Amino acid sequence: MGRYVIRRLLQAVLTLFFVLFLLHYLLSLAIQVNGNPARTFFGDKPATPEQIAAVEAKFGTDDPCLDRLGDPCLGMFQQRMADWMTLDFGTNFDGYAVTDEIVRAVPPTLILFAISTSVWVLFGVTTGVLAAMKRGRFFDYLVRAGTTFTVAVPTFLLLVITQQLVGVSLGNWARDTFGRESVLGIVFQPSYDDRYPFLSLLVPGILLGAFGIAGITRLSRTSMLENLRADFVRTAKAKGLTSRRVTIVHTLRNSLIPVITLVGFTLADALGGTVITEGIYSIPGMGGLAYNATRENDLPVVIAIVAILSVCFMVVTLLIDLLYAVLDPRIRYE
Amino acid sequence: MTVELDRQGSHNGYVEGLPGYRDDAPLLEVEDLQVEFHTRDGVARAVNGVDFSLRAGETLAVVGESGSGKSVTAQAIMGILEEPPARVAGGEIRFRGVDLLKLSAERRRRIRANHVAMVFQDALSALNPVWTVGFQLGELFRKHRGMSRKDARRRAVELLDMVRIPAAAQRVDEYPHQFSGGMRQRVMIAMALALDPEVLIADEPTTALDVTVQAQIMRLLSDIQAERHMGLILITHDLGVVADVADDITVMYAGRAVEQANVRDTFASPAHPYTKALLRSIPRLDVKGQRLEVIAGLPPVLTDIPPGCAFAPRCGYAQDVCRTERPPLSTVTAGRSAACHFASEVMTDDVN
Amino acid sequence: MSSDINERVVEGIDEERERPQRAAGLWRDAIRDLRKRPTVIISLLIILVVLAIGFFPSLFTDVDPKACDISRNKAPAEPGHPFGFSHEGCDYFAQTVYGAGPSVQLSLMVVTGTLIVGGLFGILAGFYGGWVDVLFSRAVDVFNSIPFLLGAILLLTMFRDIQMPFVGARLQAIIPAVITLIIFGWTSTMRLVRASVIEARNLDYVHAARSLGASNARLMFRHILPNAVAPVVSLIPLSIAGMISVEATLSFLGLGVRKPEITWGLMIDDATKWFVNGYPMLLIIPSAFLIATVLAFVLLGDAIRDALDPKLR
Repeated sequence: MGRYVIRRLLQAVLTLFFVLFLLHYLLSLAIQVNGNPARTFFGDKPATPEQIAAVEAKFGTDDPCLDRLGDPCLGMFQQRMADWMTLDFGTNFDGYAVTDEIVRAVPPTLILFAISTSVWVLFGVTTGVLAAMKRGRFFDYLVRAGTTFTVAVPTFLLLVITQQLVGVSLGNWARDTFGRESVLGIVFQPSYDDRYPFLSLLVPGILLGAFGIAGITRLSRTSMLENLRADFVRTAKAKGLTSRRVTIVHTLRNSLIPVITLVGFTLADALGGTVITEGIYSIPGMGGLAYNATRENDLPVVIAIVAILSVCFMVVTLLIDLLYAVLDPRIRYE
Repeated sequence: MTVELDRQGSHNGYVEGLPGYRDDAPLLEVEDLQVEFHTRDGVARAVNGVDFSLRAGETLAVVGESGSGKSVTAQAIMGILEEPPARVAGGEIRFRGVDLLKLSAERRRRIRANHVAMVFQDALSALNPVWTVGFQLGELFRKHRGMSRKDARRRAVELLDMVRIPAAAQRVDEYPHQFSGGMRQRVMIAMALALDPEVLIADEPTTALDVTVQAQIMRLLSDIQAERHMGLILITHDLGVVADVADDITVMYAGRAVEQANVRDTFASPAHPYTKALLRSIPRLDVKGQRLEVIAGLPPVLTDIPPGCAFAPRCGYAQDVCRTERPPLSTVTAGRSAACHFASEVMTDDVN
Repeated sequence: MSSDINERVVEGIDEERERPQRAAGLWRDAIRDLRKRPTVIISLLIILVVLAIGFFPSLFTDVDPKACDISRNKAPAEPGHPFGFSHEGCDYFAQTVYGAGPSVQLSLMVVTGTLIVGGLFGILAGFYGGWVDVLFSRAVDVFNSIPFLLGAILLLTMFRDIQMPFVGARLQAIIPAVITLIIFGWTSTMRLVRASVIEARNLDYVHAARSLGASNARLMFRHILPNAVAPVVSLIPLSIAGMISVEATLSFLGLGVRKPEITWGLMIDDATKWFVNGYPMLLIIPSAFLIATVLAFVLLGDAIRDALDPKLR
């Protein structure tokens, strides 16, 4: 177990290094190709070379390597890594420290993910397992049709339509009927309300949960079906155990191992989905920050968030691997 | 009441109150058992009317090729067939006179492991990979006997000791994949014996093992059987093992018993051409240099069993009557029966 | 639907009779199985129609989608204009027809690209093993560590103003997205192919071919590749479905195809604000087309996967 953890950690650190370098290189390349962002700072106004140099220095884009196409700017990379180590992510176009913006953006995103994860686990896994238990019956077909349809509706479309239908139409009705500050009035809002972070994040959280839920439901179903036909389930029946115990202790426990992994990967994947969810619902989280920075072409912010989310992604996948080893004894001693 | 019933009465005692129970009835009787599988390609008749009975302390070998219905028969006795697609279409399975097929699911469940237990072929897949061996053994005591976790674990250690697993106290907390094949099969046996069943069904218990380990496992099984005076149904295709440990033999082909007799008689002069062919296909040390015989052809497809004798297409004795009329299982000589129109000719023919 | 017990009952028969043509039988059975399903037929029809619309929009409408008359904005349907007019007064039917093009073309290009890149890397990594495998597998790790959509957004933001030489306006609109999506999309194909190749590499007949002196290239492409095809084939329609979705998402975010080009994602973006304000059809029409297209590919992919792996249907 110990050696496995160490090997896995070393791998993750190595991957992280390459990811960060890749991001840095892309950023350098973008500046080399598009021209120095300091120039766009002045817009159409004429600027003296001294003024431009001053702005370049302020944004940290004064390295001459940025004028040479293809130069990996290793010196800058070193500097950037040193800054990032001390949690200094530079300043955005408006002159604010990116680190502060990110710190403020973390809580809404965490709440959002807490809601989505509950949707995956409570709704996705449960329906998948039940569908497997009722294989071939109406409920099974319903679940399978439902998952197929969920896959086919792009997340942004689901968000847009729900925002209009639930946030605007249903929300207006709720606010007229129960009052602006009523629970329903807040839940059915078309955008984030920082006075009620949890309630106003409920609908977007569930919608983010719809992203990837099909995979989780399907895997729960197939994994359960696969284990229901396993030899050890037959043994458990031969042991005269109740069918309840056979299902829960000898089938569900085994079936959940791959499902938990998938929940982790879906969570990691949904980190990308937050950009759309938070963007459309104007949630000031990590994704919302990235969404706005994208619209404003504010590259340092985008790259810092991508880097942070990539680290989150790696941490999540690492945790899944370790959790897998804990859950499946066959992995533990390899 | 016999001695062994007293022993069971002391703690198993579930079956006594059930309808049909007689303590002088045979331990296990199977009568005209029929099992079919409903598949997309039609109904497969896996078992087409099998009869046999088993006394306490006796070993019955059930022999046949894969697909002959022997494992399905065992699973039907245990009541662990997957239904659907399987369906017990007819017959009776009586344990001390109680027809198990007529019991409610809940009563049937309590018979399992308490009175009738089963050892499966491949212990690696038959044991749950995510629970320790101790948990899987202790579970029986906790759920059937209401023991505490601690007591159940102690009993699990005792069981592992009984099946001669070294360092049982440490190994009880290990997972199945950490055991060797032979040790795993011992765990399987310990699990089947945990609640002192009167009938043990062993479904090819040594097929997945190395030859050297096979002998040890068979020795263990027959020792314990003699010690506890259990009835043992040994499902196998290894006729060497049958000769060593079994008292009686039932040979199955295409879902039917084609020959039933005591082992010694059958081996000396088989009464069914299929048994004869099976015996000939065993390599023998005393006749070197001869070609090993194989049974030509394939067993019938179970969704489409031909009329007449199912073995006729592969049989050297077959006449026209075999292809039209199915021979019933009938007595050939005292205590022996065979399902063949020419049983007596087959018997008197030279075995070699 | 046969259970495992049932298979155990007949396993003795199956093994001897069917082993020789098992590989060929897999495809034959799969195709026979697929032909019997109504969902497959319907999906295929939808896909054919969408492909035709995507590549030859002018066959379906004579109206120029960019000829707009602002005075007719949001006007209802009338003869010759079955879907009415957009908020800019363009014919909505023509817009919907022309809006299919970028999605369809982009998704096909991306999937072809990922198959070539991922397939090639997968074969190389799986076949040679050793440091080649380590190199490619680490690369997969690096690309997988950047969430797909996030990576695509990042790249497209960075290089959104690049002008490509020698490329028409239409292609100019989708090529950057195609390249970006291939860069972040090849990893899943690569992993799938690599796993199948490693499995196939150790099969007896490959050892036999090797001992008979077959060259590496011959081994890879004649003996090992055919084995890796089955899992990839069922992935193709699903990848196309995913890419159509992603294209719509990127256009909606303003990172894919941009105006004045037409695509469903952009139409949806424009129509959003009119949805609850009396003109729901403006949103419903492109959404329905988008969902139907994606659904058709998803259903086809699911059916192929089930047919090739029947045991868990």
